Amino acid sequence: MRVLLVEDEVRLADNLAAALRDGPGFAVDWAEDGLAADDFACAASYDLVILDLMLPKLDGLGVLKRLRGRQDSTPVLVLTAKDGKDSIVQLLNAGADDYLAKPFDLGELLARAKALIRRGKGAAHPTLAALDLSVNTLEQSVHRNGVPVALSPIEYRILEYLIHRPRAVVSKRELLEHLYDFNWEHHSNVIEAHVSNLRKKLDAAVPDAEPVIETMRGRGYRLAPEAEQTS
Amino acid sequence: MRLAFQHRSIAFRLIAAVLAVELVSSLGVILISLGYERHTHFVAFDISLRGRADSVLGAVQDAEDAADNVMLNQADLHLPPDDIYEVYDQFGRLLGRSPNWAGMANTASTPSNTPHGNFFKIVLNGRHYRALQLHGSRIVDPGERGGGKLRQVTIVYGGPTEHVWHAIRGAVEFYAGGSIVLLLVTGPLIAWLLHRGLLPLRQLAALAGRVSVDSWYFSPPASAHLTPELAPLTQAIESVLERLERSFTQQKTFVSDAAHELKTGVAVIKSSLQLLGMRQRTPAEYMAGLERCLADSQRLEETVAKMLTLARFESVQSSPGPQPTADLPDCLRLTVNELATFAALHRVQLVPAPPPPGMFFVPIAAEDCSVLLSNLLLNALQHSPPDSTVEAHLTTGSEVVNLVIEDHGEGIDPEVLPHVFDRFYRGDPSRTRTTGGTGLGLAIARAIAERAGGSISIASRPGEGTTVTVCLPLAAESQASQSNQPSA
Repeated sequence: MRVLLVEDEVRLADNLAAALRDGPGFAVDWAEDGLAADDFACAASYDLVILDLMLPKLDGLGVLKRLRGRQDSTPVLVLTAKDGKDSIVQLLNAGADDYLAKPFDLGELLARAKALIRRGKGAAHPTLAALDLSVNTLEQSVHRNGVPVALSPIEYRILEYLIHRPRAVVSKRELLEHLYDFNWEHHSNVIEAHVSNLRKKLDAAVPDAEPVIETMRGRGYRLAPEAEQTS
Repeated sequence: MRLAFQHRSIAFRLIAAVLAVELVSSLGVILISLGYERHTHFVAFDISLRGRADSVLGAVQDAEDAADNVMLNQADLHLPPDDIYEVYDQFGRLLGRSPNWAGMANTASTPSNTPHGNFFKIVLNGRHYRALQLHGSRIVDPGERGGGKLRQVTIVYGGPTEHVWHAIRGAVEFYAGGSIVLLLVTGPLIAWLLHRGLLPLRQLAALAGRVSVDSWYFSPPASAHLTPELAPLTQAIESVLERLERSFTQQKTFVSDAAHELKTGVAVIKSSLQLLGMRQRTPAEYMAGLERCLADSQRLEETVAKMLTLARFESVQSSPGPQPTADLPDCLRLTVNELATFAALHRVQLVPAPPPPGMFFVPIAAEDCSVLLSNLLLNALQHSPPDSTVEAHLTTGSEVVNLVIEDHGEGIDPEVLPHVFDRFYRGDPSRTRTTGGTGLGLAIARAIAERAGGSISIASRPGEGTTVTVCLPLAAESQASQSNQPSA
């Protein structure tokens, strides 16, 4: 999952980015002012925007309005140091999905971030299931047919992204965009290697298993739909 | 309509004043009418007295006796029954008198000096009479040779004055009654008119009363500006409200800005600690995390300290006692020395121009003066590229001293320039990262300069550098630079 963090206070941004990368393993892009945030949001597709309100150049509300003006439905979590219900109501009405008042609890921020991403992808429960796979997004653990499967962080993130969109074809480009921030070199063969490892680990968990990840040549990957009948 | 006036109200006082004037003038009218009525009535009375006396004279006839005497024929006299009279001939013999009188000889009289004749007053049996003495003559036997004989007669004739006075009193009573009626009518009428006339004032008060901390909107009624008496009051209310609102908004903004800064500061520390606790870390990682937290809390501490400094300088009350002063050149020298290490670290040369000779005292306490100077110099140093210079000059006028601090840094965007003295304003967030400024330094500098009655201004050419000019008034003892007052 890829998160756009918009925060002008450098130290806070550092901490938040570190927590988002360390904890749920999100890719994080950091914008330090409103205009940069708008540029970032235009250039890439994010699974979540964490938006500070008091920003130089363009304030958080302005960023939010531009984002929603482009029909962009990315979930937005607003960070605010402002008091008063009015500004919160105004924010939610402008299209924000949730807010946290500073100083906030880092654990709460991560939980809300995860919940917003989940909701944004149409899942209500933190444990996602498809075929005989279940992915617990809280513990970041994966079971196939009840058997735990040990995955590397990047393999887990690929599976988490795929299981949010079962039966949809996800291109390599999309995977790259959602799993890495701008600071990474984008090499599609890296993704290929990780997907290949992921598929091997998942298939090894259960004897005589149907392959769960299908490679659509030239188009991308999807969680195999016909496997549904076997479960 | 309510006419409940309190006795201190302007309306009450105006009404009382008008009624008092009315009362005095009606008393005057009564006195004047009394005098006038008395005069006209007595003139008429005197004329009628003279007429009656003449008719008495007409009743004096030839007695047809040998001595050619005259006699009074009272049978044909028709006079008011209350009148008194007596008639003498030239020999002092009584010819006749009214039956209700014992004669002048038995009556006390007071002469009255009227220009119309010899009138006098008589008091008879408690009644007041006005009387006149008339000398007349009769010619006895005018058909005889020689034209007859001339007989002199003296007539004293008096009439009671009661009814004259009665008529005068009636007239005066009419005037007095009229005045009272007028007073009774005009009193409420004035009250009503005043009540109406003061309507703009009440409207103004009602609208002014609606202004509160939450709603500063004040729109005076149109009548308030058009009424010459209310216009200054309205303008005063408007300007007071405007100033109050501005200061309130400033305070609110400050509190809100301060809350934002503090919350952000706390959020940084809290998130740093929570990040550290998210998973097991090596001792080196913990140490690094703790150091970051310490740095974060030091920044927060600095922000709080600067906020308090700013609040202190922005509070308007000046401390009692003598105004503290500082020698500006000396202060500048000390501050430059203090900042030498910082300047060397940034590889910037701090060049104070040689100050003009003498001492130049400014009305700022010495420690505040160094806060002012160090804030400005630090700001200049932080925005100077390595191997450049920051210059500080002092120039003096007759009553002011100008301090110019010039750097050769990147300059300030013209868009940003008007805001650099605003609290918590940071021109460019990237500067925050490199300089760690709180956004309060220049606001504090301005507060100090303005509190001392001076001013501060900034000019900048992007790419060339920035010049800050502080203009401060000189304290009284400055020119007498021989005084050995110690400074700093």
